[in-house]
Amino acid sequence: MAAVETREKVSALAEKYKYGFVTDIEMERAPKGLSEDTVRYISAKKGEPDWMLAWRLSAFRRWVEMREPNWARVHYPKIDYQDAYYYAAPKNTPAKQSLDEVDPKLLETYNKLGIPLSEQMLLAGVAVDAVFDSVSVATTFKAKLNEAGVIFCPISEAIRDHPDLVRKYLGTVVPVTDNFFSTLNSAVFSDGTFVFVPKGVRCPMELSTYFRINASETGQFERTLIIADEGSYVSYLEGCTAPKRDENQLHAAVVELVALDGAEIKYSTVQNWYPGDEEGKGGIYNFVTKRGDCRGRDSKISWTQVETGSAITWKYPSCILRGDNSVGEFYSIAIANHYQQADTGTKMIHLGRNTRSRIVSKGISAGRAQNTYRGLVSVHPKAANARNHTQCDSLLIGKQCGAHTVPYIESRNPSARIEHEATTSKIAEDQLFYCLQRGINPEEAVALIVNGFCKEVLQQLPMEFAVEAQKLVGISLEGSVG
Amino acid sequence: MNVALDARRLKAAEEFRAAGVPHRRMEAWKYSDLRPLIDAEQVASAPAAQWSIEAEGVELFDPAAGEGAFAGIMGEASLAFATATLGLRVKAAGRVRIAFATPGQARLRIVLDDGARLDYVESAPGGGLQNIGTEIVLGRGARMTHARLAQRAGGARIGDVSVTVAEGGCYRLHCADFGSDLSRLELDIKLRGIGAQAHLSGTSVLAQGLHADVTTHVDHAAGDTCSTQLFKLVAADKARAVYQGRITVRQGADGSDSRQTAKGLLLAERAEIDLKPELEIFADEVKCAHGAAVGDLDADSLFYLRSRGIADDEARALLIRAFLAEPLDEVEDEAMRAALWAAIEDALPGAMGQP
Repeated sequence: MAAVETREKVSALAEKYKYGFVTDIEMERAPKGLSEDTVRYISAKKGEPDWMLAWRLSAFRRWVEMREPNWARVHYPKIDYQDAYYYAAPKNTPAKQSLDEVDPKLLETYNKLGIPLSEQMLLAGVAVDAVFDSVSVATTFKAKLNEAGVIFCPISEAIRDHPDLVRKYLGTVVPVTDNFFSTLNSAVFSDGTFVFVPKGVRCPMELSTYFRINASETGQFERTLIIADEGSYVSYLEGCTAPKRDENQLHAAVVELVALDGAEIKYSTVQNWYPGDEEGKGGIYNFVTKRGDCRGRDSKISWTQVETGSAITWKYPSCILRGDNSVGEFYSIAIANHYQQADTGTKMIHLGRNTRSRIVSKGISAGRAQNTYRGLVSVHPKAANARNHTQCDSLLIGKQCGAHTVPYIESRNPSARIEHEATTSKIAEDQLFYCLQRGINPEEAVALIVNGFCKEVLQQLPMEFAVEAQKLVGISLEGSVG
Repeated sequence: MNVALDARRLKAAEEFRAAGVPHRRMEAWKYSDLRPLIDAEQVASAPAAQWSIEAEGVELFDPAAGEGAFAGIMGEASLAFATATLGLRVKAAGRVRIAFATPGQARLRIVLDDGARLDYVESAPGGGLQNIGTEIVLGRGARMTHARLAQRAGGARIGDVSVTVAEGGCYRLHCADFGSDLSRLELDIKLRGIGAQAHLSGTSVLAQGLHADVTTHVDHAAGDTCSTQLFKLVAADKARAVYQGRITVRQGADGSDSRQTAKGLLLAERAEIDLKPELEIFADEVKCAHGAAVGDLDADSLFYLRSRGIADDEARALLIRAFLAEPLDEVEDEAMRAALWAAIEDALPGAMGQP
C-alpha cells in the first residue's frame, strides 16, 4: 500500500504543479534575439578562450542554414528564434567559494524544490550541481570528489580549468552539426555540467544536476559532458522544473557521455518541466539530444528517464555501442496528460562485436495527449553476436489520447539477434474493479496500477529518486480519471 | 464523369512530378531507393503493361470512374500515366487468374458487390519497370482472397494496392516475393465498416543481391474491426528484405483488434533485413500488439539435426522451410499453397548461397 501513502502525500499538495513558482531575483540577460553577437556575448560573459568562441561561431553559422526537423509526431506553432533571450543569469554570480556566498533567495528556491543542495544534506550523499536559467550556481561536495580525483563542475569552469579534456571530448559524441537543436545548443549553450571520472575510480557518490528555468521568455541550453575513464563508474541524475507561465519556453540541451574501456555510466533523468495547463497553454518545449558513446571494450551506458513534464518532449537518448562487448540500456517512462505531446525513444547502434542492448519503454497517455515511442536498433555488419531486446508498452487512459510506437529495426549481421515486442492497451477493467472493490478511490487506483505498469523502469532509478518518481507518476495523471 | 477523372489524373500527375521518383530520403521509401534505377521520365512514358487473364464470374468494365485511391506515390503515377486499364466487377462469386506478361504500367479497379466473393491470383514477373496500381473495393460482407506471386526478376517492380473494406467484409492477402533489383508491394487497407477484417501474410525469399519490400498500412476506421499480419523474410548475401507495417486505430474505432508479426532470417554476412512495425492508436478500447525479430538459424536446432546425421545444407533447408511454413499455412487454397511451396523450393538454393 506504499502507493496509497504516496497518493495521500501527493493530495496534500495544494497545487498540481508544485514547482510552478517564480523566484524574484535580479537577472542579467543578453539582448533579445540570436545573432553572432549573442554568441560572442555569451562567450565573453563566460570568459571563454578563443577556441571555444570559434567553435560556437562555426556552430551558429551552420545552424543558420539548417532547417527545423518536422518528422516527429509533435505539433506546435512556429518558433520565433529571435523572440527569446539566450542568456539569463542571476546577478551577483562571481565565482563562489562556498554555498554561503550563493544568493539566499536561490538557496530558498532549491530548498522549495527539495534539492539536497546544502551541506546539511550530507546524509543524502548526493553531490549536486544546480543550473539556474543559464548558469551553474552551486556545486556541492567538491572537496570530497576532489579527493577521489573526480572532476564535477559547471562546464564553463571546465572550459577554463580543464580545456584539454573538454577539447578532446566535446562534440565527439554529438557532432556540432548533428541536428537543428543540438547545433543551436552548440552555439549558445551557457552552462551545464562536466564530469570526469579517472581511471579505475568508482565515483564515491551519486552526482546530480538540477535544472531550473526561472526567467521568462528565456531559453535554456545546457550542455553536459560526462567522461568515464577506463574501469570507472559513475551514476548521474538530473532533474528539471520550471515556473508556470502562459508562454512556451524552449529548452534545447545536449548531453554527451563517453565510456572508455570497462567504464560504466548510469544516467537517470526525472524530467518535470512545466507541462502547460489543462487547456494546453504554456509549458516547456523540451528538444533534447542525448547520446552516449561506449567507446571502450566492455563499457556500459544505461539511460533511465521518467518524463512527466514539458508541453512537448522530443528526445532520444541513444547509445553507440562501439567497443566490443559493450552494453547499452534504455529504460523509459513517458507520461503525457492533458495536451502534452511526447515523442521519445532511443537509438541503439551496434558497431562492435558481442554488443548488447535492452530497451524497456512504458508510455502512458491520458487526456488529449499524444505519446510516441520512436526507436532504432541498428546492427552493423561487424557487430557479430549482437543482441537486442525491446519491450514497448503503451497504456491509454481515456478516449481522446493517442499512443504510438515507431520502431526501426535494421540488421546487417546474421549472427545478431533482435527481438521487439509492443503492446497497446487500456487499464484492465478487472484490475480497476479489484481496487475499487477494496475501497481505493479511482484516482488512487489508477496511480497504483500505473506504478505497477512502470515498475520495471522505476526499479532502475537510484533509490532516493525512485520515490520521487513514483509520486510524480501519480501527480502527472491527476485529473485523468472520472 | 470523365471530367472528374481527368482532373484527378492531372492531380496525380502533378503530385508525382512534385515528389519525383521515390528515394531513400523519403520516409516511406527509406529502405527502397528507386532513383538509381529509373527516372521520372521513364515512369511517365512507361509502356502499357500487357497481361493474360482467365476470369470467371466477373464483369469487365472500363475503370474510368473511381475514387482514385492509392497507397503511395507510385500508385498515383499509375493513375496519372498508365494507358492500360482494367475494371473487374464481381456480383456473386468470381475467380480471376491474371499474369502480367511484360514490363510497363497498368491500373486496375476491382469491385465486389455486397456479399460477393472473389478468388484472385496475380503474378507479376517484373523485368524493366513494372508499376501496377490496383484499387479494390469490397462491399458489405464481401470476401476476397488475393494471392500475389512476384517471381525472381530484374529491374524495378512495384505493386500499389489500395483496399477499402465495408461492414463485415474480409480481405485476405498472401504475397510471395522472390526479389528484383527493387521489388515493392505497398498496401493501404481501410477497414471502413463495422466488423471489417484484413488478414495479410507473406514471405520474401531472396537470393544474392536481390531486394524485396512489403509496406502495409492497415487503417481501422470503424469499430470491431480486426487485422492480422504475418510476414517472414529470408535474405542471402547482399540481399535486402524489408517490411514496414503501420497500423492505425482511429478515434472511436473501439473494439479493434490487431496483431502484427514480422520475422527475418539473415543467411549471410552481407545480408540486410529492415523491419518497421508501427502502431498509431487513437482509441482506448483496443487490443494491439506487434512483434518483430531478426536473427539467423537457431544453432541448437541445427546441431540437433546434424547430430542425427542430416547434412548441413539439408538441415538448413529444413529449418528455413519450417520458418516459412507459418505464413503459408494461412493460404486456404491447396493448389495455391502447393504452387507457393514449389516457388519457394526453387528459390531456396539461391537464398542459401548455392549457385
